[in-house]
Amino acid sequence: MAEPTYRGAVGTARETDLIARVAEGDRRAFEELYNLYHRRMARFLTRLTHRYDVAEEIINDTFWVVWRKAREFRGDSQPSTWILGIAYRKARNAFRSAARLQEKNLAAAPEPLTNDEPASAEELRDWLGQALAQLPVEQRLAVELCYELGYSCEEIAAIMNCPVNTVKTRLFHARAKLQKLLPQLAGTTTPGDAGGGR
Amino acid sequence: MSAAMRHEESWLLLPWLANGRLSQAERARVEEHVHGCTECATELAQQRLMCEVLTEPDRVTYAPGPSFRKLMERIDARPAAAPERRAARVHGFPAPALSAWRPPGLAFAASFVAVVGLTAAFATAYHWSQPVYTTRSDMRAAEAAPGVLHIAFVPSLPVGQAEELLRSAGARVVEGPDPSGIFGVAPSGSTQADARELRTLAQRLHADTRVLWVEPLAAAAAPPAVQERGTRER
Repeated sequence: MAEPTYRGAVGTARETDLIARVAEGDRRAFEELYNLYHRRMARFLTRLTHRYDVAEEIINDTFWVVWRKAREFRGDSQPSTWILGIAYRKARNAFRSAARLQEKNLAAAPEPLTNDEPASAEELRDWLGQALAQLPVEQRLAVELCYELGYSCEEIAAIMNCPVNTVKTRLFHARAKLQKLLPQLAGTTTPGDAGGGR
Repeated sequence: MSAAMRHEESWLLLPWLANGRLSQAERARVEEHVHGCTECATELAQQRLMCEVLTEPDRVTYAPGPSFRKLMERIDARPAAAPERRAARVHGFPAPALSAWRPPGLAFAASFVAVVGLTAAFATAYHWSQPVYTTRSDMRAAEAAPGVLHIAFVPSLPVGQAEELLRSAGARVVEGPDPSGIFGVAPSGSTQADARELRTLAQRLHADTRVLWVEPLAAAAAPPAVQERGTRER
């Protein structure tokens, strides 16, 4: 079965309809909407937090708001932008509640990861996860929204409630830091060649 | 635009060229630059690698079921967490936008609606106070079937959807339907539900707009918050 998609006219219309039904208290529609978003949100939030229980808490906090505020969704933005916008704020708050730890992370000078070259895309992904953990939360979220969830610059700006240029700047700095943290990314074109350029 | 500016603009947009989300015009502009710029071409390859790595299939499968059940327990534990449309209607508080000034004509219209509404409310209350209502809450039945909720659905609800509604709420049919279309239901996993279980189930069912009303039969299980929908919402 084809995986539910976030984008596309059909998907958007379907999600808009589901939100309208949720506004009327339809639990089946709520469950369907929840299932549509759970997997991807769980994936990128788990990568960000390194803990599924924290990711699950953020997802459920998000959908708690969706349940309460579905009536307020007017369709001015795409359903995914609205839901991910809520998730973004919840995730940011979760990170802020762990501010002390984060400040410690941010204060620490980022150091390149191990010199061992990743043998596969899977290892590269693990390394990337570690590198992302060293970025400020706003940059981390921008990276995930762009590369993993495939949002446009304008959509990310709507989700993060900031100007488009801020999104570009956040990704610009994130890319620069990732290049320092992951030298094996430099000069490679395929996962199999990762590290070959060093 | 100078070559330096074009390079800077292209460099900033490379992540979206890699994920395929640039507009057609932007894409044409950036691609044209990348063809003649080794630095941007190398960076684009890296950006594509990032997209590839971050969108690979998961090694872990996340099952949404248990998480969703936790969320619904949380929602059911707080009946006030129903979608805000209903909350606003129950408590009668105007939304912030409605508190703004309105033309005087609206006040007359609102007064008229209020009078009509109150008249209808009194008429409905009188109607519900008649014997036809009390027979549905026959206390002999309560004695015969403690731990059972009686429920009525909106008349247009197909049987299949009613069954699905009950199943998702964790209820099973134990009686009925009687000639009025009223079912007796009990919590799915319990043979002799206590008052708390019944209260939780009643609140869960009541939150669904397709449920006309839900009413406890056993006196011990009578949750004060669970009334007929129409009565509660006035």
